[in-house]
Amino acid sequence: MNNITLGRFIPLNSFVHKLDPRTKIVAMMILLVAIFIPVGFIGYGIIGVFLLIALILSKLSFSFVWKSFKPSLFMLVFLLIINMFLIKTGDIWLTIGTFNLYSGAVIQTIYIVLRLLLMIVITTMLTATTKPLDLTMGLEDLLSPLAKLNVPTHDIAMMISLALRFIPTLLEEAQRILKAQASRGVDMESGSFKEKIQAILSLIVPLFVSSFQKADDLADAMEARGYVVGAERVRYKQLKFTFSDFITLFSVTGILAALILIKVL
Amino acid sequence: MSIHFEKVDHIYSPDTVFEFKALEDVSLDISIGRITAIIGATGSGKTTLVQHLNGLLLPSKGFLKVNDFTIKENEKPKNIKELRKQVGLVFQFAEYQLFEETLIKDVAFGPKNFGVEEKEAEMIAANALVTAGIDPKDFNKSPLELSGGQKRRVAIAGILAMAPSILVLDEPTAGLDPQGAKAMMELFSMLNREKGITVLIVTHNMEHVLDYCDEVVVLESGKVIMHTDKKQFFKNDQYMEKASIDPPIIISFKKMCQKQGVDFDTDVLTIDKLVDEIIKKRGKR
Repeated sequence: MNNITLGRFIPLNSFVHKLDPRTKIVAMMILLVAIFIPVGFIGYGIIGVFLLIALILSKLSFSFVWKSFKPSLFMLVFLLIINMFLIKTGDIWLTIGTFNLYSGAVIQTIYIVLRLLLMIVITTMLTATTKPLDLTMGLEDLLSPLAKLNVPTHDIAMMISLALRFIPTLLEEAQRILKAQASRGVDMESGSFKEKIQAILSLIVPLFVSSFQKADDLADAMEARGYVVGAERVRYKQLKFTFSDFITLFSVTGILAALILIKVL
Repeated sequence: MSIHFEKVDHIYSPDTVFEFKALEDVSLDISIGRITAIIGATGSGKTTLVQHLNGLLLPSKGFLKVNDFTIKENEKPKNIKELRKQVGLVFQFAEYQLFEETLIKDVAFGPKNFGVEEKEAEMIAANALVTAGIDPKDFNKSPLELSGGQKRRVAIAGILAMAPSILVLDEPTAGLDPQGAKAMMELFSMLNREKGITVLIVTHNMEHVLDYCDEVVVLESGKVIMHTDKKQFFKNDQYMEKASIDPPIIISFKKMCQKQGVDFDTDVLTIDKLVDEIIKKRGKR
């Protein structure tokens, strides 16, 4: 369970880590939009090169990014197979019995795979280089215009940050319970269907019980320290926009503009 | 029957920024049939050490032998279920692992996992619950209705029901009131005496070490820096001061007397004996 890289913060000291979380969130959204502008391989190439530079600047290892691909590999293979059977455009490249493989299918699949991989890199970069609390702070700031429409932006941000804060705690707790039950002879891997259900129950029930307990304790602790839902709050840490943030946003917007231009022209 | 660690290292999350060496070059022989205390500061590797005993963690380097099992580096031992049956491991705050609707069902869960029939498992469970000091009236209650101390007893009963020959307890008395803690330690002492179970206890409580344990293993930053007899251990009060361990009250008392020029024998480790000694000394005057 320690091998989960998706959404995990890696504490390093790099250019990307020091960027304002708002910059990173906005940059991520712009890049995600850019990925869906259909200009073919040139577009993916441009975004890919940009991400490669960002990756080097962030000091994250390539093996880390590779690991974050792994959970989606199954989905990619699945997509590949579905596409091969469903898309029937372009030339026929290969014929096996009654099955024809069209060039359109292959190219479409490569597009989808590239898109997915790029999206994974982008989101992994965001979560790996931004502390969860900074992330929610950035999110709250970005959502603040909605507060005028009576959207409880602060409460939403607080909920997200609490949820994020408790992911590692719950993982740790799950691991602990898993070990405790393994000590009582639970075998998560083998056994009949009924035994497996029992094994999962022995994990989930204690996890729920302790989550509720933790939530109760947390609520009490927050109230004891004067937290009031909906009250005006000030912040100790202030977000600052620096020159590197402008550079980042400028280059990302540049990419989006370039892709739109290529598409239009 | 033996417990033997040979040059065991354990590294968490190797080859990442989170890499952490929790155990380093641990070689250790735990005496069978005795109660051994494992002490050390928080983060010194006590929990990591004991989790090797039933194969929950595997050594990153070196190996250990537990009874007839050999646990080698990064290799799950064969028949790990049998190992887990022989080595009962009770976790810190074990009460959080209860999940069944009733106490008896929860305790019977262990034996059932090891292939015991439902009826027999419940009989074993009832016995274990009684041993752990639970009132038979409560057997059909939900674990959620019990107090923290009682829940912990049920969790321990859940391990006892597997009839282990080695019982490993990770801070079994943490968070219990002094009386409950004492009763808990009495229970382990009784299991050791009457059933010959080898007991390993991770603890911070020196009073418990003094009153109930036979041997002491001291860990510091993942290394075993001391493994001795209880008496030897408490003789060495300089060490305790250095490791900022609060000595038991009787040791502190003897030290205070020593400063005033009254010496007691190092064998005097219980209040009763101390009282006898004091009376003897007064008689001489």
